[in-house]
Amino acid sequence: MATRQWFSSALRQCRTALSQQQRQQPSQLQHQQQVKQLSTTAPSAAGLRQIANNPTSAAGSVLGVESETSRVKNEVLRGIYVESHQRKAPAGGKQKSLPSGVNDMRVVATTDLYVKEMAKRRWRSGDVYAPRDLSAGEAVKWRRPSGQRKDTVDMLGIHPLDNYRNFTLISEYMTSFGRIKHSSDTGLRPVNQRKIAKTIRRAIGLGIHPSVHFHPELLRLKKRDLPKIVLSPKKGSSSGNAASQ
Amino acid sequence: MATSRSVSPGGALLRASRLFSVPAPIPPPSPEIGFFGSVTATTAFPTHQVITTLNSSRRRGDWGLKRPLPLRSTTKGKTAMIRVKQIDSIEHITDYSTATDHGLTLQKFQELRLPVTLPQVDKGDYGNTFITTTRLGLPRLVKSAFEEDGDSTTADPADISKRDMRWKFSGPWLAGMMPGAFEKWMAKNVRPRRAEFREFLRKRLAEEMNTQALLKAEDSEGLGAAAPIDPPSITEDQIIEYLRKLRYNNMELYDMVGQFLDLAPLAPARLSDMAKEVLKRGVRLKKSDSPYADRGPPITHPSAGISYLRTNMYLDNHPVYGPQAVHPAVRARVLRPRKKGLGLNSDAKLGVAGFAVDTPFGESPLNQGSIAYKALEVFNPTIKGGASIFVQPLSATVDPSGRVVPVVGDVTMDMSRLIAQELIGKEKVFVESLKTKEKKEPPMRPIQSRSPRNRTPSWRTSSGQAYGTDKL
Repeated sequence: MATRQWFSSALRQCRTALSQQQRQQPSQLQHQQQVKQLSTTAPSAAGLRQIANNPTSAAGSVLGVESETSRVKNEVLRGIYVESHQRKAPAGGKQKSLPSGVNDMRVVATTDLYVKEMAKRRWRSGDVYAPRDLSAGEAVKWRRPSGQRKDTVDMLGIHPLDNYRNFTLISEYMTSFGRIKHSSDTGLRPVNQRKIAKTIRRAIGLGIHPSVHFHPELLRLKKRDLPKIVLSPKKGSSSGNAASQ
Repeated sequence: MATSRSVSPGGALLRASRLFSVPAPIPPPSPEIGFFGSVTATTAFPTHQVITTLNSSRRRGDWGLKRPLPLRSTTKGKTAMIRVKQIDSIEHITDYSTATDHGLTLQKFQELRLPVTLPQVDKGDYGNTFITTTRLGLPRLVKSAFEEDGDSTTADPADISKRDMRWKFSGPWLAGMMPGAFEKWMAKNVRPRRAEFREFLRKRLAEEMNTQALLKAEDSEGLGAAAPIDPPSITEDQIIEYLRKLRYNNMELYDMVGQFLDLAPLAPARLSDMAKEVLKRGVRLKKSDSPYADRGPPITHPSAGISYLRTNMYLDNHPVYGPQAVHPAVRARVLRPRKKGLGLNSDAKLGVAGFAVDTPFGESPLNQGSIAYKALEVFNPTIKGGASIFVQPLSATVDPSGRVVPVVGDVTMDMSRLIAQELIGKEKVFVESLKTKEKKEPPMRPIQSRSPRNRTPSWRTSSGQAYGTDKL
């Protein structure tokens, strides 16, 4: 690292170009170099090391997705830190160093990427962790929503068939295209799943709830830039016409 | 005298054996309501007894169970700890797994030597509850979990005011019940007891009338004390009249219902939050002194048996520096840094002795984003071993779900941090003052990864490289 102080600016430009190339087409030797720079035994960063050693297979196992985008993301993560590390010791005397804000933004972006990809676990005070909980394998399990759920109808003690006019309830248990959700999606036990399905069919059959989307009032509340529908008689217009602004 | 059943010698041996002393597993901690989680994550508390064995027995697979356990999986690690889910299953195997996650966590926690306190709630200006800390970083008004006035499970029927100061109640905590569970409880446990409640009211009415009669007798200067009224002598009309009065006296009625059903104490609704509801429904609760009124009673003893210390007012004695003014600082892992910028800001989470804890509440350098605590703000993958900071553990508390929550504060004295760092070999406080050259010991042999790429044949490495002495 100390030798970089004597590099000329032209050589520095070559180096930045090379680092960019490294990000796109990493070779194994460069991998090992970068791994040494990022040498850490942190269990929380074990995933990163795994990725560094085995970009293709580790990305697939750690992130559960074997795709180009995930590999690029990992390289970007590594590359950002390698670069920022290099930039901290600027080569040569007079150089146009980047404004400190850019480096800060990069660091913040790294943190955000780490928290988004690796540290998804929702830590609660009083949680007990062992080294295994900080490993990449466990971190992956916190990214995916688990199918286990509690039966919300039992928890709330509601009688679905008595709530056929409760549009929030109806919309809650249907998809955005108006299809009744499967029990693996709702987490309800079979009895309650049938009751909810019957309630939805009843509401749609009566014509009080749409069959292909959520209730318009809910859509309006969720997306506030929809025009308001105000039922008030305009002056001079026939009664019974709804006025829309 | 009860007839004692005679036990055979074999039976006596088994009863006295350690195998039979393994307790039944306890119910697991309540799972978090949410969509994201891992089934294999370490639970908040262990449910099975942790079993250990001697080294010599371990090498033979002998754990005192029905059959020896396989050596490959039980002799690898340094610590000998397993938990046995089934001593003998239908497939004729012993269902066991390693228990070092909870066993070592307990060991680490006991090294902290923390006292367990009751959940401390302190009502701020706007009715919010939080744990306050003094300037020195000590929690204010902590009460040990072993204080005699709160450490009981039986309610003294004579003293009704002390009924609330228990940690175990037969009835539920209504504020923590979901509506569905509440309806079920009402149908199953409450409705069948209507007649019983009426009898209870009869007794209470009799007591009230007696006390009134006694007061009258005192006032009228001993004109003649009336005979004590028997509960059966009270008529139905009197009870109906009493019930009518109680309908307008919520506090007393709730108190009676709570006593009859042995309900856990409830905190009265804060007017700032629920003013309209309180006025609308007219339900008013008495203010309770119980520390569990806000969050609910614990599922275990308030200490959960994790520590039996009643105070942290003991002196630490360092072998070199003598008595210490403050307890030693402890290295805490940064589990999650505070997100800034792109995402939402969240609280940083620290890990102390295997427990996830919050950063100290209130004003402290840890919370003010100082440069020294950059590790709490952003993630830095270049830090070897992960980011860590030094904190001062103060006490521990057990929340209603059974989770142990250590409370940590900021390190008040820099010297304690230096001494703690010296203990792990990162600082030299004592040696510097002596100014003597210390003999350098050769570092331990580096652990080599077993992948074929990293393995070099032994004839290629020099002895210095193998011992690690070539990099001095």
